[in-house]
Parts: sequence; structure tokens; C-alpha cells
Amino acid sequence: MILLVSAVVAIVFGSGCYLLLKGDLFRVVAGTVLISNAAVLTLVGAGFTRGAAPIRPFPPGSEVSDPLVQALALTALIIGFGVTALLLTLAFRVYASSRTVDLDQLSQIEAAREDELEEAEA
Amino acid sequence: MTAVLFLPLLIPWLAAVPLVLLDGSRKRVAWLAVAALAVHLTALAVLAAQVFAHGPAQAVTGEWPAGVGIVVRADALGMVFALLSSGVLLAALVHETLAGIEGRRFPAFVVFMAAGLTGLFLARDVFNFYVFFEVAMISAYALSTYGGEARQAGAAFVFAVVNLLGSFLFLIAVAGIYHQTGTLDMDGVTTGLAAAGPNASILIAVLVLVAFSVKLGLFPFHPWLPAVYIGARPAVAAILAGALANIGSYGVLRFGADLLPAQLRAGSIALVVLGSASIVYGAVQAIGRRDSAEVLAYSAIGQVGYVLVAVGVGGAVGLGAAVLYAIVNGLNKALLFLSIELRGWLVGAAFAIGAFSVVGVPPAAGFLGKVVMFRAGVETGSAALVILIFLGGALSFLYMFQLYQTDFWAGAREVGRSAPRTRVVVLVLAALVLGLGAWPEPLLAVSRDAAAALGEGPP
Repeated sequence: MILLVSAVVAIVFGSGCYLLLKGDLFRVVAGTVLISNAAVLTLVGAGFTRGAAPIRPFPPGSEVSDPLVQALALTALIIGFGVTALLLTLAFRVYASSRTVDLDQLSQIEAAREDELEEAEA
Repeated sequence: MTAVLFLPLLIPWLAAVPLVLLDGSRKRVAWLAVAALAVHLTALAVLAAQVFAHGPAQAVTGEWPAGVGIVVRADALGMVFALLSSGVLLAALVHETLAGIEGRRFPAFVVFMAAGLTGLFLARDVFNFYVFFEVAMISAYALSTYGGEARQAGAAFVFAVVNLLGSFLFLIAVAGIYHQTGTLDMDGVTTGLAAAGPNASILIAVLVLVAFSVKLGLFPFHPWLPAVYIGARPAVAAILAGALANIGSYGVLRFGADLLPAQLRAGSIALVVLGSASIVYGAVQAIGRRDSAEVLAYSAIGQVGYVLVAVGVGGAVGLGAAVLYAIVNGLNKALLFLSIELRGWLVGAAFAIGAFSVVGVPPAAGFLGKVVMFRAGVETGSAALVILIFLGGALSFLYMFQLYQTDFWAGAREVGRSAPRTRVVVLVLAALVLGLGAWPEPLLAVSRDAAAALGEGPP
């Protein structure tokens, strides 16, 4: 089971990294989301125990599974949700001011802007 | 005792929530935020006085037994960094309020960051550390767009993405710690990791180091830093360099020296090399720049290198030097960044004091930082380290006075909104830097106590 979880985490993390390296703002956001979920999955995998649901009263004589990681994962998911919203807002602001989400075009616009500034100074 | 411990945490929380709903660009609201931060800082100072007099204070939320409830603990190290960060936040907020706030949410996010940073420095639980860490970081992402021209949104986006990656790596390290030790409480983690296999614990140590290096903006992890610092308003740059970067210094100290001492000793060479690379890279890049914000941004990369080198040297001397250097560097950067966009002979004098402090010339406080670094270098018997510290100082002399020349002699400094009253905060900070350098005992004692708090276990 641990091996399976590790494999899933590896694939999700790898896909996230792949998207991060793409030249498109929204793909970068999607990549960050995937990496955040890889971290959450690792968190769930860290406390992997088999057993009954950890709800009182516990069934006598049986193990209960670890409830703590579920709580951690929930918290981490909420944080991930929040920062995704923030990232999307930032990406939208970049789009609103430059009318493009392509990173190459963005850096061209940036360079043009800097040239303008320098000319204005000179 | 419990009330004293929780008040500095609760005050900024309770103040920030209504502040978000109010229009922060109005003077009255901004001064309300300043008042909240001032009360918070007073509460912190009261707690710090108790901690330094009677040793660490600890409390568990909700009266749960320790291990079930969330443990909050104030020790000397946490208090030093909390006081420094909240002090810098207050200085930046007052400065921006005097100059005129342009954004509606600026005061609220500064207060939120105070809440996040204080929680982080008081957390005695690895996961809560992460949660407060994210609270502070999210405020920083929001602040980095403040006063934003178009290019600032792009820099803020890069800042957010890179630092989120760092945060998620840290979260994975937290998962690893929990898997290895079965606990999140820092005391339990220390004993658990000492017993864990070397492969797992070294992997965790590397993940933690990378995560905090990103926050610090150390050399190979720095590319986000200059763009954000250059585009940001001076007050925001001061907050990022003077308050937020403390997360990295504190994190390396707490996780390195407290939770993973064996791994820290094993990796000390790596830390020294990484720190040295930062010192040299930051200084050389800074020499090649002319714009004040740019020079200071690269100087920030160089200066945090000293903290990492000192942690790598380790021992009571090295860790004390790291704490002291972090304090001095936070104050220097707050002073220098806030002085951008101001001019006049008073600001020139304040800037010169800040420059002296970065270089390490007495009587500024930076002199102390350099002295303790030299002492750490001599104590390890490493000639290379002593030469490196000297070289770093010489290079910083070059770039700081190049900057002084172009800004104050050639009059190249671009001036924003420079009413005389906006100089107040810069002058107070300069007096503080000078005072701490002229009367060094308190600073030395505090950093020694803070370093002694590492690895001492539960009270």
C-alpha cells in the first residue's frame, strides 16, 4: 500500500513539476495545485494504519486507524484552496494588465516597458 | 501566565479581522492598525520580560493534556525573533501611514502577518508551525502587490509560486517527520528523529533546509527575490527583508539546532558552503548595480549568508552569532529600505549609519555582528572562514558607499512623497542601530540566552 501511495504521489508531483515549467500562467497555477495535492497525499500516506473508523465508542479488541492525518490533510487542503484562489487572482491581474498569459510574451512586454523607462530617463 | 502567553497571539488576530473590512487608506483606520500592533508589541515585551527572567513559558490550548492539545511555548529564541519581526512591522506600518497609504488592505495584511509570525515563533508543534507559516506567507503574497504597477503583479506571482513550492516541500517534510516519529510535538520529534534511520532523517533535514533557504533567498534559491524587492514599495521591501526573512533564520535555527542536531553537524560543511556562496554572490551582484532597491535586494541575499554560515559553525558561539546577526540584519534592512525615496541630510546620516552597520564599522550595531562572526570563525580555527568574513565585509563596504555616493553626493536619489514627517521612523531606527552598537551588552546577552534555549528540552 505504501508503495502504491508513493507511486501516486510521485506521478502527481511529477505532473505538477511538468506543468510548472510550461510557459503559461494558468498551467503554472495548475502545476502548483497538483504539487500541493501531492504534499497532502504524502501527509495522508504518512499516517497509514489499517483499522476501524476512529469514532467513539471504539469496537472492542480492534485497532482504530490514525485520525490525526485526516485532520492535518483537511487543514492543508484548506490552505491549498486559499493560496490557489490568491494565485488565480494574481494571474488574472497579470492578464488584465498585459492581455496575455504566455510567459514569453510577458517577458517581451516587460523588456519593452523597461526600454521605454530608460528612454524616458535619458 | 496563560493569559500573558496567549495575548500577543490573540491581539493581532482580533484586530486584523475587522481591519480587513475597513478602508485602510483612511488615516483613522491606519492609526487603529498602528495602535493594535503597538499593543501587540507591548504584550510581547511583557511576555519576553517574563521569559528572560524566569525561563520558558508553556501552555496547552483548551486545557487538554500535552500531546493532545496544541502546545504553545515561549522561549528566548522565539521571543527574540517575535520582538524583532513585530518591531519591524510596526516601523514599516507607521512609516507608510505617515507617508500616506495607497491601498485599502495594507494595514490589515501587516497586522495579519504579525499574527502569523508571532504564532510561528511560539508554536511548539511542527504542523502548527506550518499553519502559521502559511498565514504569514499569504499576507506577504498579498502585500507584495501593494502599490502595484503592472510589473509588480508579475513579480508577486513569481514570488508566490516559488515560495509555495518551498512551503509544500516543508509540508512533505512534516509528513515525513510524522511518519518517522509518530508525533508532531517538537520535543517528541527531537527524540524520535534521533532514533530514526539516517536515510529518512537526512532526507527530512534536506527538505527543511531547502524550504527555509527559499524563504531566506539564499544563493541558488534566490531568483524570486530581486524582482519582488525592486518593484515593491519601500515599506513592503522593509517588511519582507526585516520581518518575513526571519522565518528562514528562525526555521534553520529551530529545526537545525533543536530538532535535527545530529544532521546539522553532519551537514555543517554544506551550510557553510551555501552561506559563503550567498555572501560572495550577493556582494558581487550588488556592486554591479546602481539603483538603491536593487543594491539592497542583492545585499539582502548576501547578508543572510552570514546567518547560515554561523549556524553551520554551530556550538554556543556559532548559534549566538547567528541570532545576533539575524537581529542586526533585520534592523539594517528595515532602516535602509525605508530610507529609499527620502532625502535630506538627516536621511543621509541615517543611511550612513545603516551602511556602517551593514559593513560592520563601529559604533553601529553591525560591528557587533561582524565581531561575533569573527569570533565564531576563529573558534573553529578555520582561516578560510575568517578571510571570507573579511572579504564579505570589504565587498559590502564597496557597494554601500558606491550607493551613498550616487544617492546623496551626486543627488541621483529619486524622491517620492517626502514630507518631513516621513523621516521620523528612519531616524528612530537609525538611533536604535546606533544605540545597540554603543551599548552592546543587552544584545549580546539576549542572543546568548536565545542560543542557549536551543536543545534544552521542555521546561
